[in-house]
Amino acid sequence: MSEHRKPNTEHRNWQPKIIAFLCNWCSYAGADLAGVSRIQYPPNIRVIRVPCSGRINPIFVLKCLQNGFDGVLVSGCYPGDCHYISGNYYARRKFAILKTLLEFIGIEPGRVQFSWVSAGEGEKFAQVVKKVTDDVKKLGPAKRFVKRV
Amino acid sequence: MSAPKSTTTGLKKRENAILDLLKKGLERKCFDTVLIPVKVPAGDSYVWVLAQDNSLLDDASPLPPVMPVHGAKAISSVMRRGKGRKRIATVMRPCEISATIELSKLGQVELDNVFLISIDCPGVLPLSDYLENPKKGGDAFEKVFKQWGNGSVRPICQVCHRFSMPTGASDIHIGMLEAGERDIFIISNSPKGEAILKELDISPKKEIGSWKDKVKEITEERKNKRKNLQEELKPGVVGLDRLLDTFSKCINCHNCMRVCPVCYCRQCYFDSDKLKHPYEDYLFRAEMSGGLRFLPDTLLFHLGRMAHMSLSCVSCGSCEDACPLKIPVSQIFGLVADETQKLFDYIPGRKTDEPVPMATYKEEELKEVED
Repeated sequence: MSEHRKPNTEHRNWQPKIIAFLCNWCSYAGADLAGVSRIQYPPNIRVIRVPCSGRINPIFVLKCLQNGFDGVLVSGCYPGDCHYISGNYYARRKFAILKTLLEFIGIEPGRVQFSWVSAGEGEKFAQVVKKVTDDVKKLGPAKRFVKRV
Repeated sequence: MSAPKSTTTGLKKRENAILDLLKKGLERKCFDTVLIPVKVPAGDSYVWVLAQDNSLLDDASPLPPVMPVHGAKAISSVMRRGKGRKRIATVMRPCEISATIELSKLGQVELDNVFLISIDCPGVLPLSDYLENPKKGGDAFEKVFKQWGNGSVRPICQVCHRFSMPTGASDIHIGMLEAGERDIFIISNSPKGEAILKELDISPKKEIGSWKDKVKEITEERKNKRKNLQEELKPGVVGLDRLLDTFSKCINCHNCMRVCPVCYCRQCYFDSDKLKHPYEDYLFRAEMSGGLRFLPDTLLFHLGRMAHMSLSCVSCGSCEDACPLKIPVSQIFGLVADETQKLFDYIPGRKTDEPVPMATYKEEELKEVED
C-alpha cells in the first residue's frame, strides 16, 4: 500500500501531505521550471498532472481529504490564458461551490487552496507551495471524514 | 368518480375551475393532451397521467395533497427520447415548474410543445403521514388549503417562499390566494400563455393587485421562517462530526437521488464502479481510521450530490419524502443550496433563457477564492 496513506498523526515531527493538481499547460510547467531552476520548495506536495484545471471534479478534492491528505492545492493558468480558452473559468466556479461546501462540512478553508501559476513562474510556484504547506502545518492533520470516539 | 356536487369544498371548486379550463383547451385543440395528477382507483395516492380525453380529467386533481412523483420527473420521462409534435399542457406546483425549467436548461426537457401552467401551492403533506390514513389526509389537506399551509405540511413546504409564480417562467399562472370563495385568477406569464387564453376567450384578470399583495406578504413571512428554520437546523448539521452524526443513519439506498427531479444523470457516479474499490483498499482504510463503516462512502455520496446539484435544487422536498430513515435531507440541501445559489445570484427556474451557473462564467468574478 502506498506510503502516503500511512497515518502520520502520532509522529512528533509530523509533516503534512498535500496533493497538488496542476494543469499541464501552465502550473505543471511552472513546477518544472522551479525544478530546473533549482528553486527550493517544501517536499510536502504530491503532484497530479491534469490536462486543465477545469478537469478537476470537486469529488477529487473530497476524496483526497477522505483518504488522508491534509491539504489540496489546485493550480491552473491565469484567467484568459487557458489552453482550452475557458476551462479555468469553470474551474473557478466549481471551486467556489466547493469552498462553500467545505465551510458547511467544517473543513478549514486553508486546507484547500486555488491559485494561478503560469509556465514562466517557477519562483511563484515555489512561493505558493511554501504558503500552502505553512497554512496546512498550522492547521495540523486532517480528520479524514472520520468521527473519533 | 367525481365528488358529489353538494359537498364540494373550496378546494374542489378551484380544482374544477382549473379542470374546466383544461377541458376547454382540449376541446378547442389548444393542446393535444394534459399531463396531470389523477387519484389512483384505490384512492390512496396520486399518479401523473397523460390524459387525452375529458372523461379522464374528471378524476384529475391539479392540487393533490401529496407529491409522490415530482412533476418534473414525470415530464422528463415523457421526453426521455426527445420531443414530439403533439402539444402537452401540464398543471404543476411552482417547485415542479422550476425543476422542469432547470431540466430544459440541462437538455432533459424540450419546452417548445409544452404549456406550463403553474398554481399557487399551499404545500403538501408528508407522504408517510398521508399513506397512514388517506381519508384523514384528504381532510387535513382541506384545512391546509384554507389556512394556506399549516403545521401538517412538510417542514420544507412550511418555509417555502416560492409557493407562487408572480413573475415566473410558466406560461399561465393560476392564482388562488384572495380569489374569493370559488374563484381562481388566471394570469398569463408569457406570450404563449397569452395566445392560449385568447383562443379560450379568457381575458386575463386585470385586478390582481390583492393577489399580488398577499403573495408578497406570505413570501416575506416565509423567507423569515426559512431563515429561522435554517438557524435552528445549523447547530445540528454543520461541521464534520455533526454531519457524520446526521447521516450515520443513512442506509445508502440512494432514494433521495432517484426521486430528485434535478438529478438528471442517467448513470450516477455513486452507482458506478468508480466507487467500488479492491478488498485491500477497504482493509487499509479500516486500519488507518480504526474502523470503516459499510456500506462505505455514504457521506461522500451526499456531499457529491450537494456539489453537483445544489445549484439547481428547488427545495421540493422529494428527497425527504423518499428517505426511509427520515433524515431531513431536503432541509440540509436547502441550507447548502441557498449558499451556493447566492454565489452566482442564481434562482433555479427563474427564467428559461438563463443558463445554469456551471454552463457559463464571467471573466471578472469570484476573486475571493483565488489565493
